[in-house]
Amino acid sequence: MTMGKFLVRRILQGVFVIWGVITIMFGLRAVSPGDPATLMLGEGATQELIEHVREQEGLNEPIYVQYFDYIQGMVVGDFGYSWRSNRQVEAMVIERVPATIELAIAATIVAVVIAIPLGVISATRRNEASDYGATLFSLLGISTPNFWLGLMLILLLGVWAGLFPTGRRPVGFAEAVVTLVRYGSVYDLLVWLKYITLPAITLGTYFTALITRLTRSGMVDELGKPYVTASRAKGLPSVLIRYKHVLRNTMIPIITVLGLQMGTLMGGAVITETVFNWPGLGLRLIDALDARDWPLMQGIVVFIAIAFVSINIVVDALYTSLDPQVREE
Amino acid sequence: MKGANRHSIDRRTLLKITGAAGATTGLGAIAGCLDDPDGGDDGDGENEITITLSQFPDTIDPLDHITGDYFDVYDHIYEPLFDFEPGEGIFARVVEDWEIQEGEGATELYLRDDVVFHNGDDLTAEDVAWTIERTVDPDMGVVSDIGSYGLGSIEGAEALDETTVEIQYGAAPGLAEFEFGNYARALNMEWAIDNYDAENEAISGADPEDFNGTGPYEVVDFTSGEEIVLQRFDDYWGDEPPFERVTFNADGESSGRVAALETAETDLTINILPEDVATVQDADDVEIREVTSFRNIFCPMKNTVEPFDSQEFRQAMNYAVDNEGIVDSVLSGYGEARGQPVAPGINGFNDEIEPYEQDIGTAESLVEESGYGGAEIELVVPQGRYLNDAQVGETVADQIDQLDNVSCEASIEDFGVVSDANSAGVDPDGFEIPFYLIGWGTITGDTDYGVQGFFTIPDNEARTFDDEELSDAILESQQIEDPDDRREQLEEVNRLAREKAPFLFLHTQESIYGVREDIQWDPREDETVYIWGMEQ
Repeated sequence: MTMGKFLVRRILQGVFVIWGVITIMFGLRAVSPGDPATLMLGEGATQELIEHVREQEGLNEPIYVQYFDYIQGMVVGDFGYSWRSNRQVEAMVIERVPATIELAIAATIVAVVIAIPLGVISATRRNEASDYGATLFSLLGISTPNFWLGLMLILLLGVWAGLFPTGRRPVGFAEAVVTLVRYGSVYDLLVWLKYITLPAITLGTYFTALITRLTRSGMVDELGKPYVTASRAKGLPSVLIRYKHVLRNTMIPIITVLGLQMGTLMGGAVITETVFNWPGLGLRLIDALDARDWPLMQGIVVFIAIAFVSINIVVDALYTSLDPQVREE
Repeated sequence: MKGANRHSIDRRTLLKITGAAGATTGLGAIAGCLDDPDGGDDGDGENEITITLSQFPDTIDPLDHITGDYFDVYDHIYEPLFDFEPGEGIFARVVEDWEIQEGEGATELYLRDDVVFHNGDDLTAEDVAWTIERTVDPDMGVVSDIGSYGLGSIEGAEALDETTVEIQYGAAPGLAEFEFGNYARALNMEWAIDNYDAENEAISGADPEDFNGTGPYEVVDFTSGEEIVLQRFDDYWGDEPPFERVTFNADGESSGRVAALETAETDLTINILPEDVATVQDADDVEIREVTSFRNIFCPMKNTVEPFDSQEFRQAMNYAVDNEGIVDSVLSGYGEARGQPVAPGINGFNDEIEPYEQDIGTAESLVEESGYGGAEIELVVPQGRYLNDAQVGETVADQIDQLDNVSCEASIEDFGVVSDANSAGVDPDGFEIPFYLIGWGTITGDTDYGVQGFFTIPDNEARTFDDEELSDAILESQQIEDPDDRREQLEEVNRLAREKAPFLFLHTQESIYGVREDIQWDPREDETVYIWGMEQ
């Protein structure tokens, strides 16, 4: 199969997945309790007003008509209006994307910086104390619930030690960079860094544990391969073998997982963002859930699905360009 | 004031760091602008306050929602036309005097002539009249719940001259006064129409310039959905408010709001849960302040189906439950047992009415009298909507279940289920849930708002109780012009309601706040946080 055909097939699969997400979300909205107009207007709305809103929002139309209207809007990028704020959903989604991407990237950096050295140590010192330590860390990392870890970090490092702030961040990364460029001041950047540290550790911990295990198993596999034995026989220093050749080969699946996990992180940031009041998509999704703002909920979930599918397609394309055999499988 | 500082990093440390960088970047020249690289004056932190809400207003149109968080923020920008003091009534503010037009269903409001909008335009009667029209007319601007029930009896408004507005209404002047006294605001008509097509659309935007009221504060910084920063308005007609700069932000988690208070990142926060109170009390420089709110919690019983069609059975449900005990155990004392539909401080509250006291013997006798001995009922309860609502509901169901002749189970459901049940009316074919827990804030300060939606019969398909006598008593109160006579009638309505037991009456919630100790401020029963009510 050519690369073009492969990509077309992947894109079509992706479109099908996104359509599935849209349909499931719409179905959930249809069967969920609570009349949307009543929920929109709150307790005490008059029957007359409820009817007015139903009419205005097209809620009196048959469900299939509402569904096709919604799909039609989606196709042209119109996600509708938030029931609660009367703002365009796409604008409300896009304005929260940067904070979530910042957090996802920061969590990835935390994971990579901690996990790869840990994985390497664990693989190269098998069955020693450091290997057991790294394994224990991984187990704890995978087992610790995000919300609990976040709350503990806030309590220990924020409230008790006073090392990190606990409130809503006052500045975003882009704003901090603008400050740096315009005034040469790193102040906002340091503030941003201080605010993102705890959320990034919280979100990155599970990921750290995963990458540690992946690095360890990858390194162990690579270290047993003939080219390593041949390199040793040639007299190459073990540091060079481990870190130039073995680690580089180990990194291919790790980079793939990193790419795929970015999508997961964007979705998985919901709990972390809620705990830290981090103004990203996750927190907006929770706010939308609380307010039963279905257009906004649908918009966010569909956006995350699109991001997830797109990242998957890009990663698949990169991976298959590196290993054409994948296209045939 | 630590909580008012924009960033929590130690400034001296940062100046050292950035000062070092300044050696190569010329930073030293703007060192004074570090707190606000835009060059703005952040002040010295001594005259600022940060308030953390539980929900940030997600629309900038001040007429769009009747929710407390919106008033907390927007009333400082789009000030109310009157000062409303819970339990006392309304007082002059932008409107300096007003006069009922006897027999005409109208009141004339006389505006001050020195009020200006933040963009420099003078406030006129036309602005006020147009704003009221836009609020009450669902075809204008936004479909506003302020218009539908905040200003429920108001029919329209007209500018008579530059400073006189006539408000027309279809109820007693006293009732209308409670409504416009609470919810009348002023938008700048020309600005709103020219910039936002406000005749047809909601006002929207994400910049400070998208706000333009006459209030004591103007917007200087705004991050949509996250934070709004207000600064004293230099040309404000009234007294200078106590803080130069006010920041509102929000955190949906009670624990997060408490943490922000403990670390001095905020100075005042609302809706603290009873379980978080001790944490605040143990923290330095902050304290808990609470007030009994206008929000009652109760369980409607629809009397068009068995066994709730029996007054004896409904009364029995009230005698089965230990309200005082629930307040003490489930709410840690943050509530008051109640035996009528409205809270103290509401016009028409009957202070001679005591809550039902738990009396199992009386309850069981009344059940037998009703003929419904052996009844099996279910109480549907929302979770996360009101203070510890699920635990309250489960306790209520458990206490009813302890009667020898009634079985009761609690069913925890999404609030949407409860909301639907509440608006499903009383036709037995139109609803499935006759018994559920819900809360109601009588936000206008008048009993009418707390009873008419539930009990009046004509043109009210969503009522929860079908009783001509109670309905007539409410309708009669709506037409009584003399305020004292009307209050007496409303007290009678509350007495009747207790006797007929349309609800299993539970309690009035308390509003719990965490506040920096040195801020002099008393919480209000209507749950609104006003900066002008504070002192440093």
